Amino acid sequence: MPRAGWQKMLEDSGFVDVEIGPPVDTFGGAAGEDKARAYEVYGYAFLARKPR
Amino acid sequence: MAEELIVDPESLREQVRDKYRAVASAPAGPYHFHTGRVAAARLGYDSAVVDALPDRAVESFAGVGDPFSLRRLEPGERVVDVGSGAGFDSFIAAGQVGSDGHVVGVDMTAEMLKKSRETAGVLGLDNVEFREGLAEVLPVEDGWADVVISNGVINLCSDKQAVFAEILRVLRPGGTLQFADIANGRPVPPEALRDIDLWTG
Repeated sequence: MPRAGWQKMLEDSGFVDVEIGPPVDTFGGAAGEDKARAYEVYGYAFLARKPR
Repeated sequence: MAEELIVDPESLREQVRDKYRAVASAPAGPYHFHTGRVAAARLGYDSAVVDALPDRAVESFAGVGDPFSLRRLEPGERVVDVGSGAGFDSFIAAGQVGSDGHVVGVDMTAEMLKKSRETAGVLGLDNVEFREGLAEVLPVEDGWADVVISNGVINLCSDKQAVFAEILRVLRPGGTLQFADIANGRPVPPEALRDIDLWTG
């Protein structure tokens, strides 16, 4: 799922104040690197809050 | 990496369980993702914190990011770790929330639960426990958690909306979800979405 898809799903689920951190090269140097590069897959940190 | 419900949820769950059963018992792999201290260093975890943990607490770590990078947990917080695996992030969380806080790790893989519980004993932690359960049906009461964490797990669930609904249920009003997961920058073709290996790493 793309970054924007995660954000939309979080917001559609009812979370607010969604933040997404910078990309991390999760698969660099691993056996799955080629597949990750093909689809530009990176790791991200997400932060969201349940409304009060 | 994939769209909702492209694969059979039960089949996916079984294959994920098989994969992480292997990571629990043979953490060095080979896998198509990094594990252990190599993964933790690559993802930016505080090296002093990781170095202080014994190998058994780190070796089966297979996260995809650092769920603590955007927000450090506060002392006294009650935390649920969705898909806690061998417990690495739960142990980090236990250190951050301190003795007044509490961490509940939830995992569906018996081998991971056994390893995490034994490691908690080795570490002498009494503010962390591990429960068997699914991300879609967390064994936690309504509104118990101040924070829910997760790392590379929600991506592995075929019905992510159900997972987020469940996380909302266990969070108190105003509670925080902080997790790490993967996202793709280029579209993944439908035939690739049905490749179960894509989902398990």
